Amino acid sequence: MSISGKHLFFVAVLGAIVLLLMTSPLSMNAMGDEGKSSWVWTEDYPKPSWWIWGKEYYPEEPVRGGYMQYSRTRGAGLLNPNHWPVNDFPLLSGIYDRLIYPDGDHRATVPWLGKHWKMENPTSILMKLRKGVTFHDGSKFNAHTLKFQVDWINDRATGCWSRGWIQPLESIEVVDDYTVRWHLKDVWAGFFDIFANVPGWAMSEKALRGGDAIKDAQRLADKVKLAERKVQKAEKKAKKATGSKAEKAAKKVQKERKKLEKLRNQLAKAQELSKGAKDMDEWAVGSGPWMLEEVRPDNYITLKRNPDWWFGKTIGKPDMPYMDGARYTVIPELSVKLANLKAGKIDTLGVDYSQYPQVKDDPNLKVWITPLNSTLLLCFNETSSVFKDIRLRKAVSHAVDRKAVIAAASGGFGRLASCSFPPEHFAHNPNLKPVNYDPELAQKLVKEAGYPNGLTIRGALYTDSQSRRYGEVIKTMLKKVGITWKIRYLEPVAAADTYRNLEYDLGTLVDGWVKDPDSLLTGHYYPDLEEEFRRNNIPEVQQLIEKARRELDFDKRKKIYWEVERLLYEGYHDAWLWHFTSITATRKVVRGYNRELQIAGGEAYWPTHPGWFKDGKRN
Amino acid sequence: MTRYIIFRLFYAVLLLAGTMVITFFMTRMLPGDPIRAAMQQNLDLRDESIVQEVRARFGLDRPVHIQFGMWTRDFFTGNWGNSLSSGQKVVDMFLQRAPVTLELFFLSLFWSWLIGIIMGVVSALKRNSMLDFGITGISIGGLSIPVFWEAIILIYIFGVWWKILPPSGYVPFFEDPIMNLKMVAMPTFVMATHGMAGVARYVRSCLLEVIGQDFIRTARAKGLRERAVIISHAFKPAAIPVLTIFGGTFGGILGGSFIIELMFAIPGLGRMGLDAIFQRDFPIIQTMAVLGSSCVLIANLVTDIAYGWLDPRVRIYK
Repeated sequence: MSISGKHLFFVAVLGAIVLLLMTSPLSMNAMGDEGKSSWVWTEDYPKPSWWIWGKEYYPEEPVRGGYMQYSRTRGAGLLNPNHWPVNDFPLLSGIYDRLIYPDGDHRATVPWLGKHWKMENPTSILMKLRKGVTFHDGSKFNAHTLKFQVDWINDRATGCWSRGWIQPLESIEVVDDYTVRWHLKDVWAGFFDIFANVPGWAMSEKALRGGDAIKDAQRLADKVKLAERKVQKAEKKAKKATGSKAEKAAKKVQKERKKLEKLRNQLAKAQELSKGAKDMDEWAVGSGPWMLEEVRPDNYITLKRNPDWWFGKTIGKPDMPYMDGARYTVIPELSVKLANLKAGKIDTLGVDYSQYPQVKDDPNLKVWITPLNSTLLLCFNETSSVFKDIRLRKAVSHAVDRKAVIAAASGGFGRLASCSFPPEHFAHNPNLKPVNYDPELAQKLVKEAGYPNGLTIRGALYTDSQSRRYGEVIKTMLKKVGITWKIRYLEPVAAADTYRNLEYDLGTLVDGWVKDPDSLLTGHYYPDLEEEFRRNNIPEVQQLIEKARRELDFDKRKKIYWEVERLLYEGYHDAWLWHFTSITATRKVVRGYNRELQIAGGEAYWPTHPGWFKDGKRN
Repeated sequence: MTRYIIFRLFYAVLLLAGTMVITFFMTRMLPGDPIRAAMQQNLDLRDESIVQEVRARFGLDRPVHIQFGMWTRDFFTGNWGNSLSSGQKVVDMFLQRAPVTLELFFLSLFWSWLIGIIMGVVSALKRNSMLDFGITGISIGGLSIPVFWEAIILIYIFGVWWKILPPSGYVPFFEDPIMNLKMVAMPTFVMATHGMAGVARYVRSCLLEVIGQDFIRTARAKGLRERAVIISHAFKPAAIPVLTIFGGTFGGILGGSFIIELMFAIPGLGRMGLDAIFQRDFPIIQTMAVLGSSCVLIANLVTDIAYGWLDPRVRIYK
């Protein structure tokens, strides 16, 4: 079949029309931003429900520009998250990208720098890494830098606190430039959670080496000084020495000089390597959306936008992050923070419930109330107190009117807790209901336990105002059923010692920022470990914790945790009170926050959905 | 006079040594393990070896008397150790924050003495007038007002409602002089309030006592102008007892800086010290206590020497 000129003309016109349609603004809208996304979702990696941008996510278009102002209660501490002390993980999480993100149900499932992964066998994971990621110092992220980082954390000499977290890891192997193989010592279901956390925050190898060189140079400089003194001492001795002693002294001088020379050479090399380098503890270098601009310890830290950030480009939004930067100013006092928010000096603030009336009707502010994944519970010392007896644990649990405590101590902002995990967490057992308030039953149980005239127990709580509020309310409730709770209000350092030494009968615990259940449950119910302070010993719970740690099937693992919750609940091993709620007041000029998506996306929401200012600047 | 100065110096050194011993051992007696406390949010306490490593790094694994010896030696050689809660060198932290606190200190000293003296003099000269009652009322108010409350009221008036001063924060003077002065105006005023009121009350009573004496009546009888009587004849003898409260004001302002820096979010030594107390940050607590008491001792020493110089009777001692 021959093709005539007429046919060719027709094909050319059709092609031109298609091309025109494809490049027209109408067509771009029709395709939407997703059309430009390079992310591929599969059955193994399903697209999350919150993976939405554009009008469906927020009715206004993002605008570039402006510096967001935040406040912080204290300085950030060290800026390498693996070095203690770190006081501001949220700030650092904007600087460092991580391998994986946990989403709304707190499972580490969202691919990030780890593009996808496969369990080759129970102790080996093959992970493909993202290409095109550049650190803030211009170096590239790849399998080699990741291996260097993991080995660096594992090296005792670098003094990383996070080393303890990755002990179940045998080694990391570079398969090719963008593929690594993780070798585990044993089956480790918590692997992904750990690498969604600090050990998986990607750091520049170049910056780490530079920091090490600075420390080496400092160490060697001290050694050189010491060696110089030794040479001087030896020379003095040699001058005074006579006869055979003189020869010996001269040899000693030669020896010390050689040592000094060697050290000087080493120092020169270290100084060469450290030229222009900054210690990562003082200058963080990651690949995240924000990079350091200025650090004033204990005053403020300013971050600026990373123009080369990879993520925005992969979803067709190269303007991400939209703001020019952010400043985190230290303002320790809560009332002064609120004054700054009202004066427009800061843009957002997590307020105390007592400040809620001052922000809720402010025409310049928008208030968001969101569930937090942290829990407050009354903890029993089952080892060396009367609470070995389940009847007394049960009595305390039924004596507390949780709704009343939440109203009195937290202004009603809190969700009743049935056990450790909040309802949105995958480990939460939905069959458990919060323990009901039944003072008659509680009173009866106290008598049955052998205390017809009541009993006195010891307690240790923190000195902050909220602890005092709920402490006093619960104390009154316990008194009604015949339990006198003698509370000592202690500042955190002293309270920690009291708990460690089991010098209490009934105390409180706050489970903060719960993610993978293993670390939380291990911390509370595993007597061999320091965190738990041997306050209880529940073998069946410990066995289940170990079983869950080795269970790789998600559904089976989830059921094990449900079983753990059931055992804890039925044994009244603690009295869970409420899951916290956050109240955040934000100036209305800040746009782009979608509460529902944030709850669904969890931690992964924040880097993927950055906010912006209404007109691209603070007003 | 030389013997007097040597005696006072010896006495100051003795007090300083006592302060060092008491501070060191009292911080060790406080309940709570500083390493565990500072690490509880960051460290995986499951690995006991890491806790021990950090403890050894800070020398906390050694006997207390050895720690004291090491600390004393290091303190006088300028090695003040590293902060347990921030990891920074204490010397660097001190040098970064000292100019901030010094600025606050001198400005508040300026407020308290300048306004205090003016108020006291005016109050004494206009005794039993409405002005005197007004100044007395303000002085008593200034002495009794809680610093915390005064700070928050001023922050809301000037920072939130009128928006003429920043509610909190700090910018160094050489970076932005205007903003710096705006930022330190409120904190220095609040810091000075108590001292200002005290100075005003003291100046008033001292001046009234001098004004009632015979030599002032004689000066007036000679036909001198009232201004000359006050400045040349009354003021100097009245100033001598006022000088004695200088040391106390100094200490008061230094102590006040703890709360003021916290309230106004100023990164100075006071806030550093307060944070250190709650964190059991031994190297900072010890350094702050020794340096703070040294400052107060020096101020008192200067006051004593000046007083001895002005009034020879004070130099007599056994």
